[in-house]
Amino acid sequence: MNRHRLRRTLGRAGLYASVILLVSPALLFFLWMLSLSLKNELDNTAYPPVFIPHPPTLANFIDVFEKNDFFAYTINSVIVSFSATALALVLGVPAGYGIAKAKATKAAALILIARVTPGLSYLIPLFLMFQWLGMIGTLTPLVITHLVITVPVVVWVMIGFFEGLPGELEEAALVDGATIWQAFIHVAMPLARPGIMVAMILSFIFSWNNFIFGVVLAGRTTRTLPVAVYNVLTFEQISWGPLAAAALVVTAPVLLLTLLMQKEIVAGLTAGGVKGG
Amino acid sequence: MIRRRHLLAATASALGAPAIVERANAQSAFDWKQFKGQSIEVNYQLSPRGDIAKAHIKDFEELTGIKVGFEQIPEQQQRPKVAMEMATGHPSFDVVNVGMHVQKRLIERASWMADLRPLIADKSLTAADFDQADFSKPSMDVATAPDGKLNVLPLNQDLFILFWNKELFAQKGLQSPPATLDELMTMAHQLTDASKGQYGFVGRGLKNANMTFWDDILLKWDQETVTPDGRKLLTDTPAAVEAATWYQKIMRECAPPGVIGFNWNECQTTFMQGRAAIWWDGIGFSAPMLDPNKSKVVGKIGFAPDPAGKVRNCATFIDGIGIPATAKNKKPAWLFVQWVTGKKMLTEVLRTGSGTPARLSCYAQTDVIKGSAFPPEWFETTQTSLNMARSGLPVIVPVTEFRDTLGTAITNIVAGGDPAGELKKATAAFQPVLDKSNEA
Amino acid sequence: MSTTTATTLSRPVTTRGHAYARHYWAFAVPAAVVVLLVILFPWVFTIFMSLHDWKVTGATPFVGFANYAKMLQDERFLWAIVRTLWFTAATVIAPVLLGVWAAVCFASQFKLRGLARTLFVLPMMATPVAIALVWTMMFHPQLGVLNYLLTSVGLPPSSWVYASSSVIPTLVMVETWQWTPLVMLIVLGGIASLPQEPYEAAILDGASAWQMFRHITLPLAWPFIMVATVIRLIDALKTFDTIYVITLGGPGTSSETINILLYQTAFAYYDLGYGSAIVVVFFLLILLISLLLLRVRQREAWR
Repeated sequence: MNRHRLRRTLGRAGLYASVILLVSPALLFFLWMLSLSLKNELDNTAYPPVFIPHPPTLANFIDVFEKNDFFAYTINSVIVSFSATALALVLGVPAGYGIAKAKATKAAALILIARVTPGLSYLIPLFLMFQWLGMIGTLTPLVITHLVITVPVVVWVMIGFFEGLPGELEEAALVDGATIWQAFIHVAMPLARPGIMVAMILSFIFSWNNFIFGVVLAGRTTRTLPVAVYNVLTFEQISWGPLAAAALVVTAPVLLLTLLMQKEIVAGLTAGGVKGG
Repeated sequence: MIRRRHLLAATASALGAPAIVERANAQSAFDWKQFKGQSIEVNYQLSPRGDIAKAHIKDFEELTGIKVGFEQIPEQQQRPKVAMEMATGHPSFDVVNVGMHVQKRLIERASWMADLRPLIADKSLTAADFDQADFSKPSMDVATAPDGKLNVLPLNQDLFILFWNKELFAQKGLQSPPATLDELMTMAHQLTDASKGQYGFVGRGLKNANMTFWDDILLKWDQETVTPDGRKLLTDTPAAVEAATWYQKIMRECAPPGVIGFNWNECQTTFMQGRAAIWWDGIGFSAPMLDPNKSKVVGKIGFAPDPAGKVRNCATFIDGIGIPATAKNKKPAWLFVQWVTGKKMLTEVLRTGSGTPARLSCYAQTDVIKGSAFPPEWFETTQTSLNMARSGLPVIVPVTEFRDTLGTAITNIVAGGDPAGELKKATAAFQPVLDKSNEA
Repeated sequence: MSTTTATTLSRPVTTRGHAYARHYWAFAVPAAVVVLLVILFPWVFTIFMSLHDWKVTGATPFVGFANYAKMLQDERFLWAIVRTLWFTAATVIAPVLLGVWAAVCFASQFKLRGLARTLFVLPMMATPVAIALVWTMMFHPQLGVLNYLLTSVGLPPSSWVYASSSVIPTLVMVETWQWTPLVMLIVLGGIASLPQEPYEAAILDGASAWQMFRHITLPLAWPFIMVATVIRLIDALKTFDTIYVITLGGPGTSSETINILLYQTAFAYYDLGYGSAIVVVFFLLILLISLLLLRVRQREAWR
């Protein structure tokens, strides 16, 4: 009995040690990022490093917004990510439902191809096509290409959720003479609302984070945040403070979203990941 | 704000108060307002020149009534983007900044740019005081295609120079900067104390970026990287091997660890932190080193021209600004090009240490030099360097591929590779690419 | 939520709604059409370009399979394949091992579990470009915080991404840091769906935690681990943002993977024909490797 207890205590200690080991790289990284963004340039490049900003300064953030049109880029990012997510929901929620019900693995495979294809391979042809169509300089090309990211995410997550729903209610509706479309709209959709929420958040995050499409397809007025942050790397000086501040500005929305919606996101990724295979 | 108003006033007086003249005597004075209400898009590489242009856009807009959409993006993105947009024939910009040391042959071959000669010749479009003869000859040679077409106007003529830390030099009893390659090597060794994290030298080691530097060293052996006709590589000659060996020695023995991954910005940080006594790079990087918020070497920094080898020279890299052949608003675009390459703006570039303009008259303005934050030494170095400048990097189409392929060899050499072997291999790998580009 | 979903997923396929099954495919049509349109045109056009000497200047003559033939002799391309495979292997194995460990930890009950799990998941949610830029600052060999930490505990400083020998391991570290959470989440979902009875019996028998992991968790969660492996594999092969921002394939070409070479060829050397040929081969490579692993996984599932 005593030995059992000892083993248990050791086990708990091991568990806590493991958790600390696992979590600290993430925690320390983000703290260091925050620290860089709140210090002046001399402290940032000092050696040994200055860990705690003293006194903390917001100059880097002001600098980022003054020198670069970060408000405009934020609006672009919001428009692109929201539009691509909204379209993906319109297309992907019914698709997820259909695939889950019909076990249509071929349709699923087609949509999965979008996930397997390297993003770069879309770029040259799509760039040329949008140029010919005269659409470069608008946000439309970005929204369209972001569908390649958002649609598969929504479809996977929704397949997972619809397969998880009990079918009895819909069957009852169908027996009462509803069409399958009505059963979907009035019965399945309301039940899957948490799933739709998750699909929306994940699709938004992955669209927000995308870099390479913006590099090639965005122009002066259509630049998205991840591209803008890369451009903060200025030519004539190394500027760690503004760079860290810009990086933080770009990634803060998704980090906050993750912190606020952690339960839902974890659930969605578990389901989405499983269906991803 | 004060500066802007001041400059505006100056601009206005220089042009004979256009607002009044415009109405009073439209024929004799140049009409800057002739395209009032139109708008143009301007695309720059991220650089101090771009920053200066951006800071004065309002002045241009007030002067001409033309609305400017201005953007600058890092060169690694700007070059491909410009090329792709030009290739489709629908560029999104009316004015574009071109790194001629990389893209000269490409824009000539592809006929992407509009010829600026007719625009300059047109008295209704070009102010009388524009003075094209004021641009330095090397820069005009680069801007002009073999058939005489003027693709761009030279904007800047970057020069390689030495930055040296006077304090670190004094600690070792050294007074003046090195004048020759041999002296530089000796001093760098004296100034290196790796156990204390002090290094005598720092310079670019990163592939591609290192090619401008290595080319500058190679010039000291009086040799270019390619034959004058642009057909045969000269990168495995005995001189090339000697230059690479020299580079290998100083980088391995006197530069900080990790230097093979250093671009200019890592070098600059190292130098500004007082950890390297000598940095050899473009003069365009001077400005931040005088900023006490960023630099620990303010007041200790010295400037000197390139050291001499077999010959005395320094590499120059020229960038220009022009108008795409398929641009929508060529005439308003020309007003912008004219304005930004004009005496006023280029003098401002020089005064702020943002670059070394290709206009010779800028350097003659002694009041500018006096009013500058830069010491006289900086201007002397600029003058000396301009007089001995030679074009760096080969004038071929695939410059980027050249820089990557040979640059990798140079990086490998710093990492300990055999200079002759690495250069031979890279030269053999790149010669077919060059041949193919010459066929087309 | 996660528990419910994962449980139902592992439930055997039911036949409910079977009579209506043939109508349900219509729901997937709009999405399939859009995805097809967005990826089909690029594919046709890419294959078309790969058969031409497509440069940005002037003519684009048809050259047949010359671009493909060139690849076989292109040492830089062949090295990029080798590098991609080794980078991929490392960025699959490390996150999978760590991810399984993390999943086992997070499947236990402890104080602040929710917070710890969220912190652990943050790296995969953060914008990759932003993260990569911050890592770059940390790697600076003289001024970076990492070398300070190493030397302050008595270890020699590393050159991180500034030396050929250490650049890939360093990039692997960044990728592992970023993508272990994804593996953890998938495996966690699997563990949460496992039946409790075997564990209860094992505890009665006095089995150790390791024994329970080895003989119960691992075999039962194996399909989930395989799924995580396949997903990680696809993403690892396609890694772009991190390498592009941190090293652009350097020093020299020491971290140049196929994806980076492809970007350089198309966008820096303007050789769109050859770039397209590389795209085609790269895609086939990804498809082949993922199918291979899927096949393995299916065999496992049937067992």
